[in-house]
Amino acid sequence: MNLLHPGARVIDAATGETLTEEMIEAAAASLPAGVVFLPFETTVGAIARYLAALRLGRPVVLLDPDADHSALIERFTTTSVHPDLAVLLTTSGSTGNPKLVRLAADAVRANAEQIADVLRIGPDDVAITTLPLFYSYGMSVLNSHLLRGATLVLERTGIMQRDFWTAVTEHEVTSMAFVPYQYEMLRRLRFDPAKYPALRNLTQAGGRLRTDRVTEFAERMAAAGGRLFVMYGQTEAAPRMATLPPERLDEKLGSVGQALPGGSFAIEDDEVVYRGPNVMMGYADTAADLAKGDEQGGVLRTGDLGRLDEEGFLYLTGRTKRMGKVFGVRINLDDVEKNFPVAAVAGDDKLNVFAEGASDDEVRDLRTKIAEWLGTHFSGVSVRSVDALPLLPNGKIDYRALEASL
Amino acid sequence: MTELQRLRDAFRTALDLPADAPVDDLRYQDNEKWDSLAHMSLIAAIEDEFGVMIDTDDVINMSSFAEAVRILGKYGVTIDG
Repeated sequence: MNLLHPGARVIDAATGETLTEEMIEAAAASLPAGVVFLPFETTVGAIARYLAALRLGRPVVLLDPDADHSALIERFTTTSVHPDLAVLLTTSGSTGNPKLVRLAADAVRANAEQIADVLRIGPDDVAITTLPLFYSYGMSVLNSHLLRGATLVLERTGIMQRDFWTAVTEHEVTSMAFVPYQYEMLRRLRFDPAKYPALRNLTQAGGRLRTDRVTEFAERMAAAGGRLFVMYGQTEAAPRMATLPPERLDEKLGSVGQALPGGSFAIEDDEVVYRGPNVMMGYADTAADLAKGDEQGGVLRTGDLGRLDEEGFLYLTGRTKRMGKVFGVRINLDDVEKNFPVAAVAGDDKLNVFAEGASDDEVRDLRTKIAEWLGTHFSGVSVRSVDALPLLPNGKIDYRALEASL
Repeated sequence: MTELQRLRDAFRTALDLPADAPVDDLRYQDNEKWDSLAHMSLIAAIEDEFGVMIDTDDVINMSSFAEAVRILGKYGVTIDG
C-alpha cells in the first residue's frame, strides 16, 4: 500500500529536515523480514520506515518509543503473516501484556479516505503533530494528510511550549487535532484562534469532551472563521467512525455525529455496532494470530452504549464493559465516577475505587458513602488513596494499570 | 508566609514534590514530573495562590522557577523572599 501522495510534504519544525523518496527507499532496503516493530518517534526517519513497511506489505507494529517493548516483541516476532495485514496497534498504554489490533491495508486506507473526505483535506492543508504517532488518532492525522498531498509539520514539543506555537505560526498550520484534556489546556492558555490566521479546523476525538467545552471551542473557532469537528473513534476502527458536521453542532450538541461515508451505526441491545470498510481484522494475542484472516466481517461491537436519532446522529451514553458486580449486582463504573471523585474498576465481586490524594478519613468516608449510594454493604467497596491516577498517552485514565495494582 | 514560600509551595503541590524539595532551580521538562499536565496544574495553582490571570504568552513562557518569579513581577507580585 502506498499512502503517500506525490505532493505530500513532511517537515521537521526543529531541524527543517523533510521526507524524501530516497529516505523511504533506503528505509525499505533496511527493513527486516516479517513483522516490523517501529518505535514511532515523531521524526522524518520514523515516518520513512512506516511508509516503507506499508509499501513492502510488511505488517508494522506502532510502539511508544519511550516504553520497553521487549516482551511484546518477543511475543509477536514472526515471518508468517496474513497478506492483508498492514498495521498493528496496542489498545492500551505500556502496562501488562497488551493485545494488538490487526488492521488490514484496505481498512487503514479506507479510514484515511473517509477522514480526508469529511474534513475536505487537500494539498493546501497543513497539519501539525499534537499527538503521538503510535496512538491511533495521531496515526490517522498522518495518514489522512499524506494521502491528499497535504503537509505535516513534525513538532515534538506540546501546546504548553513556546516552540509549538512558533511552528504553528511559521508553517501556517491549518488544522490541529486534540483530545479532551488538551482542550482543557487550551482553555487554560486562553487559546485565541484569531492569532493564527491560517488555522481553519480543530478536530476532537479520543473521548468525550464536555458539551460546554464543545460549544465554547466551536464559538471560538467560528469567531475566527474556522470550525470544530467533533469525532468518534476506536483503535479497532482504524480509528475514526463518526463526525459531527460543524454546521449541525448547535442543534445536535452532545452527539458524536454521523457515521463516516461508507460506514453505518446500529444499536443492538443498547450497544453501538459499527459497520464499515475500516473495521479491524481482529485482535492478536500471539504471533500465530498474525497469520489469521478477517474475523470481523466489517462489524465492530464497540462496547459503547448509545442511541441514534432519526437522522443517524449518535449519542453515547456509557460503556458496556465498564460494568462491575458487587455481591452479584451489576453496577455501572461510569456512574460511580459521575457521582464520586474517584476512578472505579471492577474486582472479584467488589468495587475498587481510587481517590487522588485522599486522607485516611476521606478514604473511610468515601467507602461509607459509595456503599450507601449503591445500597450495598461497605465490605463490597474498597477505596485506595493514590498520589495521582495513572494516565494513558491520550490522557485517559489507565484502568489496566489500576487493575494491575490491585 | 513569604511570597517566595508561597510560590515554592505552589510548585511543590503542582509537581507532586515533597514539602522540603528544592525548587528554585527547576526548569520545565528537566524535572520528569513537570510535563504538560503538571504545567496546567502549576498555572492553576499560581493563579489561585496569587489571585492573578496569567496571559497565554506568559503561560508558555513560564519555563522555570526563575521565569515564574519574573512573570509574576509583571502582574504586580514581587517575589523577594
